[in-house]
Amino acid sequence: MKKLLLIAFLMISILEAGYKKDVKLPSITFPIAVDKDFGAMQRNCQWCHSYGYILNQGKQSKEFWNKIVVRMRDVYKAPISKEDEKTTTEYLYRYYGNKKLK
Amino acid sequence: MQRRDFFRVSLATAALILTPTQIFALTGQPTNSRKVSEVSFPQKKPLITYSDRPPLLETPRGAFTKAITDNNEFFVRWHSPKIPTQHYLSVYRLSIHGDVNNPLSISMESLKNDYEQVEITTVLQCGGNSRSAFKPQTSGIQWGSGAMGCAKFKGVRLKDILKKADLKDGASWLGLNGSDSSILPSAPSFSRELEIHEVSDDVIVAYEMNGEELPFLNGYPLRLIIPGMYSDSWVKMLTQITVSKEYKEIFFMDTAYRIPDNECECETPDTLAVKTKPITTMNVKSLIGYPTSYSKIDVMSNVLLKGVAFDSGSGIKEVLISLDNGKTWNNAELEDELSLYAFRVFKYAFKPMSKGKLTIMAKAVNRLGEEQPFSSDIQWNHGGYKYNGIDSVTIKVG
Repeated sequence: MKKLLLIAFLMISILEAGYKKDVKLPSITFPIAVDKDFGAMQRNCQWCHSYGYILNQGKQSKEFWNKIVVRMRDVYKAPISKEDEKTTTEYLYRYYGNKKLK
Repeated sequence: MQRRDFFRVSLATAALILTPTQIFALTGQPTNSRKVSEVSFPQKKPLITYSDRPPLLETPRGAFTKAITDNNEFFVRWHSPKIPTQHYLSVYRLSIHGDVNNPLSISMESLKNDYEQVEITTVLQCGGNSRSAFKPQTSGIQWGSGAMGCAKFKGVRLKDILKKADLKDGASWLGLNGSDSSILPSAPSFSRELEIHEVSDDVIVAYEMNGEELPFLNGYPLRLIIPGMYSDSWVKMLTQITVSKEYKEIFFMDTAYRIPDNECECETPDTLAVKTKPITTMNVKSLIGYPTSYSKIDVMSNVLLKGVAFDSGSGIKEVLISLDNGKTWNNAELEDELSLYAFRVFKYAFKPMSKGKLTIMAKAVNRLGEEQPFSSDIQWNHGGYKYNGIDSVTIKVG
């Protein structure tokens, strides 16, 4: 009986040794502008990345933000509607724009 | 022929590109003011944090006084939102398939027992490191100077694995996939391609970093190490190598991580280069780790400046220090060379003679005679890649 228990214990410890890394990644709240168009940005962008990814692109032109939104739709397959493309671009430019259209 | 045509076009456009914005918008120093976050990530000290999903963490300047960057302050850059947070090591496999006579599915145990184990000390640097220096601002995370580090990696030569897999005649490309995967169906997962002739003896598949297993965020349990090249190709959580005869188009090779394919590797926002190439090898660079703008320095005190310099593997010949905005330069003392690819620590003792602001500059020269340009002479590219301007730190002497 003792031997059986010992074998069972050894087997469990071998199995457990397999899961060496069960990692929990922290979640950080990046402060971002909120207005009537916030929802459009949130429902389209947050699938794949944090607000930090937006904030840390620096202040950019309207054309820049539009290209980014289009790239997210065409390359990364974010389901962005034509209307949300416009709303999201305007939202990003309004708060994270550099006052230049191009 | 095509290349020659392009060169002619770029010469023609070069005459047109000096628009007023270009004349006045000179590239400066990368940002140096970001503080470390209050939140720390698994196995990491609190670092400068740009994003939590995907994790983007930068090493603060103060870490760059040593040849080896500690694992817990080594920078982190992922591309996609989904990183497996659980690994059952006993079923983890590296698979090599495609144009091979002997497809392999290698367990971690086999990797450690059935192949020669090798070690290499090398710098790992993001192609966009120091991007915040570029004016006008480019797309991409506005990194300061700490998207880099140097570590001793242990693993197995990729060449040895390919030899065992026995490549078919004409096999010339490797498709590399890790677990940096997308969340939306049909979106591209992060992957890279390497031409087989680029695989030197120094390219390894590593499971150990500075004597410990790879930290989770640096690619546990296995990542590719390609000394001398920017780290966009150093695939993390490497699971698949597909051997093929022809190059396959993928977003991360054909669109991202590219620079102008012309002599200056430069372009302007109004006239983007038509022909581009992958960023590949690193240029010569140095960074002052001490003192920093946060250091308290007393007048007439003895200061021992320390920093690191590196290039893509020719090695560092000298590092020069200037205390008068680049008018005169003096040689710093170089510490031992851990490897041609490693950080080379430099030291320079000086005594600030008057109170007030003092600007210190560091310029590295490699064994090919290439040296860092002044930051204002760095030419622009749309992705903000390969910045290597002379480092400059302004301290307050009290």
